[in-house]
Amino acid sequence: MALSTHTTSTGFLLPSIHSAPPFFTQQPNPATEAIVIEQWTKLILSYARHRNLFYLRVEDAETGGDWDEVLRNDRINRRLPPTHLSSILAGMVAKNVATYEPAKQTRSVLLYWRLPEEWAEVLHQWASTTGQMNTIMTFYEITDPPVNSPLTNIPLPLLRKAITILAKSNRAQIIAIADGEGVRFFTPAK
Amino acid sequence: MHRRGVGLAAFDRKQTTKRFEELSNSISQSQVTHLNNQLAQFRTALTHFASTHRDKIKSDPSFRHAFQQMCTSIGVDPLAGPRKGGWWAELLGLGDWQYELGVQIVDVCVSTRERNGGLIEMAELIRMVSKLRGVSGGSITEDDIVQSIKTLEPLGAGYQVVDISGRKMVRSVVKELDDDQTTILGLAQEHGGRVVEDMLIQRRQWSRERARTALENMLLRDGLCWLDDQDEECGRAYWVTSAMKWEA
Repeated sequence: MALSTHTTSTGFLLPSIHSAPPFFTQQPNPATEAIVIEQWTKLILSYARHRNLFYLRVEDAETGGDWDEVLRNDRINRRLPPTHLSSILAGMVAKNVATYEPAKQTRSVLLYWRLPEEWAEVLHQWASTTGQMNTIMTFYEITDPPVNSPLTNIPLPLLRKAITILAKSNRAQIIAIADGEGVRFFTPAK
Repeated sequence: MHRRGVGLAAFDRKQTTKRFEELSNSISQSQVTHLNNQLAQFRTALTHFASTHRDKIKSDPSFRHAFQQMCTSIGVDPLAGPRKGGWWAELLGLGDWQYELGVQIVDVCVSTRERNGGLIEMAELIRMVSKLRGVSGGSITEDDIVQSIKTLEPLGAGYQVVDISGRKMVRSVVKELDDDQTTILGLAQEHGGRVVEDMLIQRRQWSRERARTALENMLLRDGLCWLDDQDEECGRAYWVTSAMKWEA
């Protein structure tokens, strides 16, 4: 009765702990639950990176959707209850690997499987290698480029955070344009 | 209550002189003499009272309780003093009484541990101890049990009065080796880590109370297992992670 890893249909390798029935139950012993939350956090961020998912909602535990491969294990007939998921999300926000988005609610989080600081670097790098420095770009052109990039489908709140970080190091500037928001990237003077 | 001689018995010791020396720094000699006399008088009165009512203290629990309360309020610790059993032993010959009761409590707890996992209801403990003592033992109250358990404290055997949802219970858990836990761990090894109450009842003939207590202790108090509340068979299963086989 060995607990094993499992590769999902989308090619994600689930860790062996995902095959353990108690992994889905919120543990009454605080020390044990801390371990459970840590493991779920790793798993969630890993899966989000694999599928390029940015949002996780408490209701994802109930409805079918992008997160099914992780939030349930039909081979052992277990699912992560919404209450437990809510608690895990709170833990992730406390550790700054996620943030409640929109603000002032606790049912939906924006995941930082890449930190905003890291996104800033990726963004700047992409602007540079695609020869778009010193050009005014719309946000849309960034999230929906003709050629897929790491920034494809990045949620606007996260994009804004990354740009703000670049602005602090003089590598980007938000420009007000006719229909929407724009940004210009540049390399700071040495 | 302080055991280290805060009671009247303390004034019998050599430290008395030193204490009075300190005292006399702030109080005049005449006041000291007056105080000394008063204490001597009081002690005589208390001694007289105790001997006169010795039989009643021994046989009547409510009177015994009242006497104990009075001692507490004056600051006399009936258990302190040079002789084992203190005050009780010196004047009433009751020192042995307290310890005898203690031994009987331990006796009952140990013999029922199989059945209840080390947790016995106060009412049942009283009933069984009374049976042990027989008619000549006089009636025993909850208060007597509580006091007696206090004397067991220094033994470090973990005897404790606990309140579980309104019911008073006495817990007697051996600190080091918990045999019940060993049994559970053994079962867990046999079943890939999963243990449920029914297993212990059917395969080891435990009572449900004992099974539940042992498993919950492992879960909550000792953090030795994980809970699965979606278990298809029993609804609640306990998984001992060290007994689970993991693929690398």
